[in-house]
Amino acid sequence: MTATLVFILSGMLAAATPMLFAALGESVAERSGVLNLSVEGMMATGAAFAFAVATLSGSHTLGFLAGGTAAALLSLVFAALVLVFHANQVAAGLAIGVLGLGVSAFAGNRFEGAAIAKPPSLDIPGLSDLPVVGPILFSHDAMVYLGILLVPVVALVFTRTKLGLSIRAVGENPEAARAIGTPVLGIRLGCVLFGGFMAGLGGAHLSIAYTALWAEGLVAGRGWIAVALVVFGSWLPFRIALGAYVFGAISLMELSVQGLGLAIPSQLLSASPYIVTILVLAAISRDQTRLRLTRPLSLGKPFRGQA
Amino acid sequence: MLEARTAPSRATLVAVPAIAVALTLLCGFLLFTAIGSPPEKVAYAFFVQPFASVGAIGEVLLKTGPLLLVAQGLAIGYRADIWNIGAEGQLIVGAICASVLAIAFETSTSPFLLPAMILAGAAGGAAWAGIAALLRVRFGASEILTTFMLSSVALQLLYFLVTGPLKDPMGFNFPQSVMFGDAALFAPLIPGTRANTSLLMGLAATLVAWVFMARTTAGFRLMVGGLAPAAARYAGFSQTRAIWIGLLAGGACAGLAGVGEVAGPLGMLQRTLSPGYGFAAIIVAFLGGLNPIGIVFAALVMAVIYVGGDYAVVSAGVPNASATILQGFLLVFYLAASLLFTHRIRWRKAAVAEGSAP
Amino acid sequence: MSLIRNLLSGALALAIATGAGIAAGAAEEKLKIGFVYPSPVGDVGWAHELDEGRKKIVEAYGDKVEAVTAENIPEGPDAARIMNQMIADGAKMLMIGSFGYMNDGLKLAKQHPEVAFIHASGYKLAPNFGNFQTRNYESAYIGGIAAGSLTKSKVLGVVAAYPIPEVVGIINAFTLGAQKVAPDVTVKVVWLNSWFDPNKSQESARSLVAQNADVLFSLYQDTPEVVTLAEELGVYVLNTSSDMAKYAPKKYLMGMTIDWGPHFVAEVGKVLDGKFEGTAYWGGMKDGAVGVGSLTADVPAPAKALIDEAVAAMKAGTFHPLTGPVLDQDGAEKLAAGAVIADGDLLGINWLVKGVETRIPQ
Repeated sequence: MTATLVFILSGMLAAATPMLFAALGESVAERSGVLNLSVEGMMATGAAFAFAVATLSGSHTLGFLAGGTAAALLSLVFAALVLVFHANQVAAGLAIGVLGLGVSAFAGNRFEGAAIAKPPSLDIPGLSDLPVVGPILFSHDAMVYLGILLVPVVALVFTRTKLGLSIRAVGENPEAARAIGTPVLGIRLGCVLFGGFMAGLGGAHLSIAYTALWAEGLVAGRGWIAVALVVFGSWLPFRIALGAYVFGAISLMELSVQGLGLAIPSQLLSASPYIVTILVLAAISRDQTRLRLTRPLSLGKPFRGQA
Repeated sequence: MLEARTAPSRATLVAVPAIAVALTLLCGFLLFTAIGSPPEKVAYAFFVQPFASVGAIGEVLLKTGPLLLVAQGLAIGYRADIWNIGAEGQLIVGAICASVLAIAFETSTSPFLLPAMILAGAAGGAAWAGIAALLRVRFGASEILTTFMLSSVALQLLYFLVTGPLKDPMGFNFPQSVMFGDAALFAPLIPGTRANTSLLMGLAATLVAWVFMARTTAGFRLMVGGLAPAAARYAGFSQTRAIWIGLLAGGACAGLAGVGEVAGPLGMLQRTLSPGYGFAAIIVAFLGGLNPIGIVFAALVMAVIYVGGDYAVVSAGVPNASATILQGFLLVFYLAASLLFTHRIRWRKAAVAEGSAP
Repeated sequence: MSLIRNLLSGALALAIATGAGIAAGAAEEKLKIGFVYPSPVGDVGWAHELDEGRKKIVEAYGDKVEAVTAENIPEGPDAARIMNQMIADGAKMLMIGSFGYMNDGLKLAKQHPEVAFIHASGYKLAPNFGNFQTRNYESAYIGGIAAGSLTKSKVLGVVAAYPIPEVVGIINAFTLGAQKVAPDVTVKVVWLNSWFDPNKSQESARSLVAQNADVLFSLYQDTPEVVTLAEELGVYVLNTSSDMAKYAPKKYLMGMTIDWGPHFVAEVGKVLDGKFEGTAYWGGMKDGAVGVGSLTADVPAPAKALIDEAVAAMKAGTFHPLTGPVLDQDGAEKLAAGAVIADGDLLGINWLVKGVETRIPQ
């Protein structure tokens, strides 16, 4: 039992990392008022390009950068559609999502079944060997820690910096933000690109570090979970991180439960993140005053300040 | 240079899709050349083979059916600014509800079995979308988010049922139901092909959608509600009603499409139920300009891409993802070209100066 | 309705116009064979081994045959179109490589009696529709002996696809083999309910190691992630379909290899001679269809002797891994001492032997 608990707690951090990156990035885009539903496709593209570059170059770092960049390029097309061409955000997100899945399949085709060494885990002598705590906290690769580190960073940017304030202003009332001289489109572009890069990093972690292989369908719905996570965490980085770890733990529990011989349908556990998110969404939406504190009010609405 | 149009242009209704298709073709050509597939073989697979035999046309119609049905339902909501993106889940629940009847009355030969399945499927799909409508009306929860999350729940529900309660007891634990009896299947539409009478549901939905949007006040109000909520309120039309109509119509149509699949080409309930019709139909709805007639053409184009893509896999050796990537290109270019609906291009600077004074 | 009619007449005209060209193309005398794979061919795995079978056909018959392949085709209504198109393109034989193609394949077989079908791992037959499987339980038994001889924790972990009879039989043989050298061994199973889910299968493998398993068995996972993970975690690993030793140079226990070559070549021969008949093929070590690849040198000598003996006996057809006394999980006697399971019972087996801890989900 203890071993299973340690397994879930230690596995949770790594399992959650791809979703955490993608969800943090998506939350930033959404807080600027842009709903980008292409996370799944961007993660797939990031995963495929990262794996290809890491395999060819032998460098994990280059792989991660390639994954992030590929997905950011995809999000640039998305940004062009919604910011320049005033396309509907839902439709544009789905279009880029489909495109991303297709691109990933083409780019990764040659690399199906290729083997790659995982990035080393950053073991801390002494700490990593501690029982229970060692495997849970001190035996992960660098990206897992970077993901954790990004949570307070994103939170601080939103609460303590002028940039964060501007992003929130643009997300809540773009017309007003523009009136006081905030470059609405520029900020939204930046946030969308950041979201794309982060989704790419998440996908890259999946293919390079977590499974160490590329296969079509590798992302398997994690991008959609990331979109759900943003809602679950009501657009706040710490809650998003909490949600990511809880969802990660649930996905591992599903498998441990079988080994332990408990009779809980695994499909119920698979569906639970979505069910819980729907409940959370209903709860936070009901309380409009509290919702207003976090939910970007202009989310999904085009800004036609220049038209 | 771009400038805002003062009045909509009829020419753009043809020009925008044409530009999107042309750019998609260009990208497709470059892509297939780049990966070394002979472009002429690919072109043959996409443009000729889907029409080259009665069987192939049957395949195109087989694909058109669910896309048309789901897209017509979604467009009703979209025109009213109701964003149901979970048609995939509503399709699955509709298929499950119909399958429960087909499995329970496995040996029935009653002519009422299929109609009952159709009703059950429509009701199931509508009920699944109804959850999102309820959450929106009661709690103000965004239907964009709830519909897609309910989709993921529906998929897990399907997995649970085909590995558990609805599994064929004589099927050696393979995750699928019994094969349906003939009374639970749609009749072939064209002998010798897989196209079946479920396509008629799509055509019926088209007719209903067209009459509803063009000829009834409810349809008009729904559309106004999407374009200008304040005006709609002034006209005495409640947003609540629009939410219910938009979501239930979309859900019911998606549920019907689910019936069409299990009682059509599948003939049973299984894990791989839909190759993403619920999502592809969103693309169809937009490509069709959210217009009932436009959607018919869009559904045909998408069906040809699907079917042509499969042919290209066999005869030109392209990867299976070709159809996916072309669909992505098509919608991206369509959305970009849609700017022409509201803006027009002026070629000379002087002209801009002339026309820019509002 | 008029829309359909218009479309139809237009398309019919096109069909007539292009029909001549198609017919001319099919006039060659080569036997065209279509191969449909459920996953990408890649370097290893299920589809890769089927494709190796295809290569052996081409090797054996050269110019007399022409092969077309379609990989990564999902089990669903679209697979039927791929098969149909292959037939329209002139294929006179189809190899359809996944269970889920069965019903669509069978329908097509009835429509096209002139086309020979061979179908992987199904159970339905028709005059022109045969199926093929391997007796993988034989190599699983060998894997069990090897695993039992090397486990210290006495816990073996299996990452399995679906609880279908073939998989259940393999787990039973694996467990019985392990008990031959380690009677107190426990086998834990995670059912993935998927042929392909790299993330989940790896997470399952981790969860099994966390539950003390020190040998992992990757059962019908198309990709090598469990094998690479085992190397990383330092536990032994064996797997089905391909030899995956290169993914775990230190901890590779063995590969339960499959060779479809002999069967495929024989079936194509029958089609060429006009003597094809749909039969159920179940090839084992005796037929050269099942083998043991890259068995680790770590296996201690007494176990190695047992392995050699069992392999020789199975090759000679004198030994069956499921030979009584065999008890099921509840301790009920399923096979009396000396009794051998009948092929028919094994094809529909729905019980696990004593020693397997996980139940079959009902």
